[in-house]
Amino acid sequence: MKRKSIPTELKLAGVLALLMAALSILSPRFLTLDNLTNVIWSVCLIGILSSGAIYPRITGGIDLSLGSMAALMGIVADLFMNKLGVHWIPSILLTMAIGGSIGLFNGFIVAKIKVPAFVVTMAAKTYLYGVALVVSQGAMLAILKPQPFIAIGTGRFLGLPNPIYIMLVLVVASQFLLKKTAFGRKVMAVGANEVAAKLSGVDPDAIRLASYAISGVTSAIGGVVLASLTQQVFAAAASGIELEVMTALVIGGTSPVGGKGSIVGALLGAIMVAFIINGLNLLNIPAPFHPIVTGVVILLALLLNEGHLSIRGLGLGRSAGRQASI
Amino acid sequence: METKHANGDNLLTCKGVTKSYNGPIVLDNVDFSVRRGEVHALVGENGAGKSTLIKVVTGATGRNSGTITFDGEQMPLEFSRKDAQARGIACIFQELSLIPGMTVAQNIFLAKEPTIGRTRIIDKKKMNHQAQALIDKYKFPLKAEAAIDSISIAQRQLVEILKALSDNAKLMIMDEPTSSLTKTEVEMLFEIIHTLRGEGISVLYISHRMEEVYALSDRVTVLRDGKLVSILNKDMISPAEIIRLMIGHSISEKAVHHRLESKRSPVVLEVENITTVGKFENISFSLHKGEILGLGGLVGSGRTEVVRALYGIDPIDSGSVKFLGTPYVPSVKASIAAGIGFIPEERRLQGILATQTITSNIGIANLDVLAPKGVVSIRKELERAQKGISLLNVKPPDPSHLVGNLSGGNQQKVVLAKWLVRDLKLVFIDEPTVGIDIGAKEEIYEHIRKLSAEGVSILLVSSDLPELTRLADRVLVLRKGRIFHEFKDCVLTGEKILRAASGIIEEAADEA
Amino acid sequence: MSSHATRRLILLSLLVLIAAVLTLMNPVFLTAGNLLKLLQEASQTGIVAVGFTLVMISAGIDMSIGGIIALTAMVSINFISYTKLPVYVFVPLTLLVGVAAGFFNGFFITRFKLPEFIVTLATKGILSGLALVIAVKDSMGFVQNVYIQNEAYLWFGSSTFGGLYRTTIAFVLLGVGTQFFLKNTRGGTNIYATGANASAAKLTGISTERTVMGVYVFSGFCASLAAIFISSRMMTAMPELGIGSEMDVIASVVIGGTTFAGGMGDIWGTMIGSVFLALIKNGILKLGISPWIQPIVIGGIIVLTVIIDVWQKKLSDRLATKSKLRKIASAPGRRAA
Repeated sequence: MKRKSIPTELKLAGVLALLMAALSILSPRFLTLDNLTNVIWSVCLIGILSSGAIYPRITGGIDLSLGSMAALMGIVADLFMNKLGVHWIPSILLTMAIGGSIGLFNGFIVAKIKVPAFVVTMAAKTYLYGVALVVSQGAMLAILKPQPFIAIGTGRFLGLPNPIYIMLVLVVASQFLLKKTAFGRKVMAVGANEVAAKLSGVDPDAIRLASYAISGVTSAIGGVVLASLTQQVFAAAASGIELEVMTALVIGGTSPVGGKGSIVGALLGAIMVAFIINGLNLLNIPAPFHPIVTGVVILLALLLNEGHLSIRGLGLGRSAGRQASI
Repeated sequence: METKHANGDNLLTCKGVTKSYNGPIVLDNVDFSVRRGEVHALVGENGAGKSTLIKVVTGATGRNSGTITFDGEQMPLEFSRKDAQARGIACIFQELSLIPGMTVAQNIFLAKEPTIGRTRIIDKKKMNHQAQALIDKYKFPLKAEAAIDSISIAQRQLVEILKALSDNAKLMIMDEPTSSLTKTEVEMLFEIIHTLRGEGISVLYISHRMEEVYALSDRVTVLRDGKLVSILNKDMISPAEIIRLMIGHSISEKAVHHRLESKRSPVVLEVENITTVGKFENISFSLHKGEILGLGGLVGSGRTEVVRALYGIDPIDSGSVKFLGTPYVPSVKASIAAGIGFIPEERRLQGILATQTITSNIGIANLDVLAPKGVVSIRKELERAQKGISLLNVKPPDPSHLVGNLSGGNQQKVVLAKWLVRDLKLVFIDEPTVGIDIGAKEEIYEHIRKLSAEGVSILLVSSDLPELTRLADRVLVLRKGRIFHEFKDCVLTGEKILRAASGIIEEAADEA
Repeated sequence: MSSHATRRLILLSLLVLIAAVLTLMNPVFLTAGNLLKLLQEASQTGIVAVGFTLVMISAGIDMSIGGIIALTAMVSINFISYTKLPVYVFVPLTLLVGVAAGFFNGFFITRFKLPEFIVTLATKGILSGLALVIAVKDSMGFVQNVYIQNEAYLWFGSSTFGGLYRTTIAFVLLGVGTQFFLKNTRGGTNIYATGANASAAKLTGISTERTVMGVYVFSGFCASLAAIFISSRMMTAMPELGIGSEMDVIASVVIGGTTFAGGMGDIWGTMIGSVFLALIKNGILKLGISPWIQPIVIGGIIVLTVIIDVWQKKLSDRLATKSKLRKIASAPGRRAA
């Protein structure tokens, strides 16, 4: 096996550049400021969610609840501001706290009771959707006030939409947390080898709990941004986005078996997915083809990134392999 | 117990078998044979080549040269485990390979179930009947329809044996079969081995336990450093003789007749009567500053369990521990904070973060220093990594190299390095040199000695006898979860340790 | 195996208990019409769950079933709308959709050893996209709601003697057949062995790859079969049909006692599980509780069941080691004198 010496991020940037070149040749509309801003905009939500969802993923787990969670958190924020009359700033902070708590609850079941992460979070996705239906009375609610809240998603700063700044702040913060702090080191260690991490003084359960809590908080932020951007909330507002987030993470080189991952890579992955879909639109390829392309892209990315995983071979039982390879 | 088999009636004959794993020769021109219907024991120290020989015979790995004849047929250089099984070579592994959730009968007949006519429908009645008949024939205490999960480890081993018998096994290989059995279960197994022999089935028995080898075998083959040392016939077998042959008296062995001398420095760790049910009992010892205390004994004697408990991984049921004179309740966090390090056995499973860089691997045990406020000082982290690399001479000396891509010896050096860059007072080291080449081994010994010279106390667990004799200032030998013997202020040889570990008290007691 | 029997007994008692409570609260519950409808609903989920059970016993997971259902229904609608092929020709052809999807999943999983969860999730995306692409559309390009008028096709979803739905009959036949296959044939034994201890199974001579391939193909087939019955019963089909149904299916299988770790479970459990789930959904409806509660209940049931199963296993493991330790401790340890 050849050693990879070029970092995944650099390779991704290269592929992205090629993709952009191809698209600008195929469609003259591609390289316009409007179109590019649009693409980045559509990347924002995925980027915000990925910045937190990467943590459970690196520890070897997964958070599939983030779509339902984001929708629910939008509804909750609306509830605080427009039904209970709370000021928008504490409303958002409360929403983030609730998101974090739900994430913590998921983490508790995963870390302490040792239930497979995908079961826990998939079930959470379902019941959070139900809670969202109940809280919103199954309706699509319009949010027209308060003005500062609406400005979060719709406003612009220096000509660029606000969500881009929010995403960039989160991505930078997440990258800092992952690469520069003791916590990030511990997350990576738990994903790479839980036993070795434990013997080096890391508490894997605590790390897992925190990882899911972080994903909960970023889901809440994503929900707030989405609500303010679209000026409406409903239970299915972000359904299916977990697939796009997972695609971004897989493309970005986050290993499905844990212990590897890069938030910059995930962001590049999100941009790539958005570019591909944008390209399909520009080339007048109908929307139904988009999930097909996403699916194929995941499979291709997996084959490229994880193809060498087949050397796991006999040593690991299939059941052990499955547990690890969610 | 007499053997009545004609000489030369060999079931398995190996001639000049040589095997090397990319460089070091593990089996060197070994001649080996098993006769029909005999119990043949294969003994040797760790690393003598026993398990490699078994792997070659069962098809788990190929050989470089030499011939193997089984039941009159030549075996090719490479053959699969399935091939070996089909010819009648069965191996009862230490880790059982049964399917939980199935019955005894289902496990015995897995993938060869009797079917109704030419369909794929299993004839359950017939299967259970055949299984019970097989069980009854050998008088095993088993029921064909019992669930695997509901029977004991010893009984599961019997199911493995039956599985092999139903395959018409001619040679049954048992690798340390008694390691997790109680005394009565061991006796039952012995009886079964005798029954098998009576059936004309050959048993190849691998064990560290001399009394078992002595009680069971018709012949014993002794391996040392990948070479055949001797084949003993029944009348020549005695535990003391086997141990003498296993250790040998090579020139280098003379150099390792070490004189143990107790250190008179202050006590660092004081352990009093600690017990964990089922693992170890009434362990007491004290460890002095700068002392290397060896912990010897057979695999499963409780050595690893003691150090794991003292480091705080597993709980201690009763007894007390004092560290630097104050009562100490072990926990991993407290241990690290107090300046205690732990180098685990099986570095791949417990030691390294394979997908991460050398820097991260060294950093993970040093986050208290590198990131006192949560933010890692990249500069300090790199400094520590470089310090570790140069201290232990890790190759390549590139801090950003992935540890999973290093050689075994260098991986072990990284595991050592993450502790050695700390201010240690005490370090537990468990089997530090398993599977690494001789050069790296010597380097690691050098570091252990240097640590001790710097005043760090070391508790060293090892199955490698020269390792203990050369490094330790004092050696405790554990046997069946208890301290069996202490070697201090005497001349120590590997032979003495092995004797004590095998429970040969008369001679060992002479030294005390 | 006693804990297994206890679990099943508790499940059945709960089933009866809930049914009794529902009857007390709303007498309409215990009418033949409602019960038959309940069984019909249970069967729609149950048919998919039968295939899914095999995947889970082999320690895998198939997230693509929703996509398979959608695509199968769309293929079927296309046959009905654009061809004059008789039902007995196009329905078997339609079932090939699931078989092909199963092969696709199995190929990536066994050939490249890719993680099963993500592979099948990707397949789901591809298939649901394909369903949209081939959906019957009007001149404006909007998906058209086709009203199925093919009598022969509607036969599948309708009821027969005594008001019993053919879906239910199909479910029982499929369930009984699969249970027999699991417990009485070599193929079934291979699935358990692969799920419980793949390396041991391989060593014994079982082709675990073929087994894994087989369960995904069967799961795809079952999902396609269910799609025929569901679309026939609804007399129409949208390209969203079946999307999201995996939670109902997983709930049925998990309630029935099949675990995610593999090597455990059976079809009887899944059959009881799907009736249990249908009962709860029916109860929510009949008691006039908001249907929005439904996902909360389903998600909650899955988490609770899995937690209980994990706890139960931990408990029995702990008891086992305790008795083992006691045995070791009581064995005469020879102390050297």
